[in-house]
Amino acid sequence: MEVPSVEKDSLVYKTAYGLRLGADISKPILASFNGNYTGFELVADYRINKKIYVAAEIGFEEKTSVEEYSNSTSKGNYIRVGFNYNAYDNWLDMNNEIFTGVRYGLGIFDQTLNSYTPNVNSLYFPSESINASITDSGLTAHWTEFIVGIKVETLRNLFVSTSISYKIVLAVNDPENFKTLFAPGFGRIFESGTGFGFNYTISYLIPFTKK
Amino acid sequence: MILCTAILSGCEKDDFCTKDPVTPKLVLRFYDANDRDQLKKTERLSIWAAGKDTIPTYRSVALDSVAIPLNTTTIETVYHLKINDFDGNLASNETATLTIQYTPEEEFVSRSCGFRVIFNRCSFFVRYKLDSRFYPCSSHNDRQSNHSTCSDIPLVLFSCWFVRLGMLKRKQWKFHQ
Repeated sequence: MEVPSVEKDSLVYKTAYGLRLGADISKPILASFNGNYTGFELVADYRINKKIYVAAEIGFEEKTSVEEYSNSTSKGNYIRVGFNYNAYDNWLDMNNEIFTGVRYGLGIFDQTLNSYTPNVNSLYFPSESINASITDSGLTAHWTEFIVGIKVETLRNLFVSTSISYKIVLAVNDPENFKTLFAPGFGRIFESGTGFGFNYTISYLIPFTKK
Repeated sequence: MILCTAILSGCEKDDFCTKDPVTPKLVLRFYDANDRDQLKKTERLSIWAAGKDTIPTYRSVALDSVAIPLNTTTIETVYHLKINDFDGNLASNETATLTIQYTPEEEFVSRSCGFRVIFNRCSFFVRYKLDSRFYPCSSHNDRQSNHSTCSDIPLVLFSCWFVRLGMLKRKQWKFHQ
């Protein structure tokens, strides 16, 4: 008996390819809650095949790090470039993503030591806060990032995305007799030269073609 | 979102300064005047800086080592030390004045520890006051001494004690109490 051959489904669901532009809305929200922070970030990605997107972010951040013994402000611009890989298989013509990504990051910034209190660990001869206002300009930071996140197409061509990232410093300039505690684009630099990031973006896809 | 950030950046080791002390202290170790390798506890030792009250932890104590802070906002600290191994009466107090001069310099340590102060070009001189009582242990009469460093200096401050002086950085000195 002949087995009837299963006819292959010839219907192919196409999805849009194009340039997606957006902004990180978490930074202005964070800035409205935290008087020590301002930040703005534009994001873009471009789909190069079914799974892979070229991605970049540019932004500005200013952050005052208030520590027990020092108060310093970092301020500057940054860029991150890299790739995202979409690991999610969409149904039909849906265009959502669960993605992982890598980035190279570069920040160029100034850091000002506003004030500090020498840690003399003595109440017998207490130390007083010293107003320093020492600025080191043209500092740079280079780092790599590993990202995981999700993107959801909420309205046609309008995407909401959230992601977290783990960052590792490749090289950073420290001010003389001080340390870069925060680098724009990187965030707080921990003792181990690592950091964490968080993004919440809304972006719009300008479709060029469908494949 | 803020919670998420807070959790991620919550507990790294640079949140806590674990160095103690960050700024070095001046250490005095007391030895037996007749056996200069033998640590010897003081009798009724009190320490105070010129113009200040006695350091609360060093008020009439019996210790073989003390660590005292230097004033980081000036270039000189003057300490007075009192010892009494006789009867505790004022008349039998033995006192010495230790003057330490230095150039303080602030040095960044870490985010959590901040800046410490290191003492450069440290020098000190000592003045004894040996005329208040009978001194049974030794009969030295060098009443002043000058040194151009503050590290591991031997000196005689009291008739029955020989003292070594150094700077305490981290916990490299072990205290016998």
